[in-house]
Amino acid sequence: MTESRARESKSLAEPTKRQMKAVSRSDFFPRLVAMQRFAHARNFAVLKTNNSGLPSRRKLTCILDNFPSDSEVGASSILDAYGPTLLEHLEVSSLPLLWNGKEDTQTAETPDFSAFVLRLKNRVLPVCGIALPVRLGSMGNGYTVFAANYLDITSEIIIDLHARSHQMMMDLLVLDERRSAPDEVLSNREIACLQLAGDGLVSEEIAGQLGLSVHTVNAYLASATVKLDSVNRIQAIAKAIRLGYIA
Amino acid sequence: MGDFVASAKLDRDMQEMPAIPPAAAARRPLSAEQLIERLKASAEAADVSAGLRALTNYVGADGYLLARHELNSENGLDNVISSDWPFDLVCKRGIELITQLSRTTELDKCLSTLHPAFSMLPEESELPAGASREYCTIIFNSGRNRYVLMFICPSDVILSQQRLKEAGVLASYFASLLFHDTTRTSRDMDLTDRELECLYWIAEGKTSDEIATIIGISKNTINNYITSVMRKTATRTRSEAIAYAVRHNLV
Repeated sequence: MTESRARESKSLAEPTKRQMKAVSRSDFFPRLVAMQRFAHARNFAVLKTNNSGLPSRRKLTCILDNFPSDSEVGASSILDAYGPTLLEHLEVSSLPLLWNGKEDTQTAETPDFSAFVLRLKNRVLPVCGIALPVRLGSMGNGYTVFAANYLDITSEIIIDLHARSHQMMMDLLVLDERRSAPDEVLSNREIACLQLAGDGLVSEEIAGQLGLSVHTVNAYLASATVKLDSVNRIQAIAKAIRLGYIA
Repeated sequence: MGDFVASAKLDRDMQEMPAIPPAAAARRPLSAEQLIERLKASAEAADVSAGLRALTNYVGADGYLLARHELNSENGLDNVISSDWPFDLVCKRGIELITQLSRTTELDKCLSTLHPAFSMLPEESELPAGASREYCTIIFNSGRNRYVLMFICPSDVILSQQRLKEAGVLASYFASLLFHDTTRTSRDMDLTDRELECLYWIAEGKTSDEIATIIGISKNTINNYITSVMRKTATRTRSEAIAYAVRHNLV
């Protein structure tokens, strides 16, 4: 218990160190353009799943892309065409997805790696491309997508792009987490109470285990609820888990 | 309990241990092309240990251990899928290491995906010949499943970060091809859409009364759904049920 608490406080101290990395989403553009060049693609898009929500309401949204606004294909047409398939795939597999465009010449090929990629429905979009699924865990999930008129991509490039896509999604997650981090840092006692409440203990049991009175436990849970900007302790527990305060 | 399951699984796996000592096989690392060929063949033959041996060889390590981070295990004990570590080492240390890992927070785990992390085994561990006490851990995901891949580092060579990352990506592809069936079963447990909908609103801080207004069904029905969720997930309180749902990525 003490060990895990020490870890918690360490992870709370870390954001200041990470702060140096990226300040806004636009900082990711140069990296994505470099990746796009590496793949010999014309455009990129980063798709992300909404963090929470019902399975039926889960959806992908485009958070970054460089499709020109006047072109006939954009990130939204990719989402319209493949959104549900992409979401489903993200739940079960990490294999890259390729698709061919409407024209006969718009093909996406990877001759040396075909066993490790899956294909989306062909001839839906006026571009071909590759979608790399990124799944970090309960948060930071989505895709990096590269579109082109013609794509011949080697295993080496796919693997490298996929590793870089993961890194980018992690940096984006750090950026998002910092925004949603609570104003005040939770105290160790508050974290301990939240943890035990999340483990199914009622206030009396928590009090017994921590050697506090029931009222003190309730007070800690109430202050944690306020700090986490929640309306009740259940929402506070949900938020505390998502933010990584408790396991 | 968890120990027993893990070691029983291992027992089966240990019998398939390669005749060649892993240390000797690792001397001449595979090229990237060779690795992809070997992985492809192993995936087609559904031979987990052959694929992992190829990956181990590619990174130049002396031994591997692959475990699945079980979502439904109460105590966070993970399942060892395959390993060529000496039996004792897996039983004593492997499981200890994975349990240790499962104590980190979800955010930390998300942020360490595909990052090779190096640590030291305790002094008294018995190791394969030529191996050092250092080992490398890579976390990767395939669909909803999280896996932990561990390599024992050789004593004379430093493993390439680049190759370790590539091995992580390839291992996730390999797992996607091989364990495709197992991913679906763990999905959403056996909760119904209505139950999930209730869980979602509770996690957003709504009371039963408010949810009744939102969904348009009676408060008692809502409470019945919650009771049924708690029964299915074997949780005692609403708080625990929500914690369970958030941990398992249901809401």
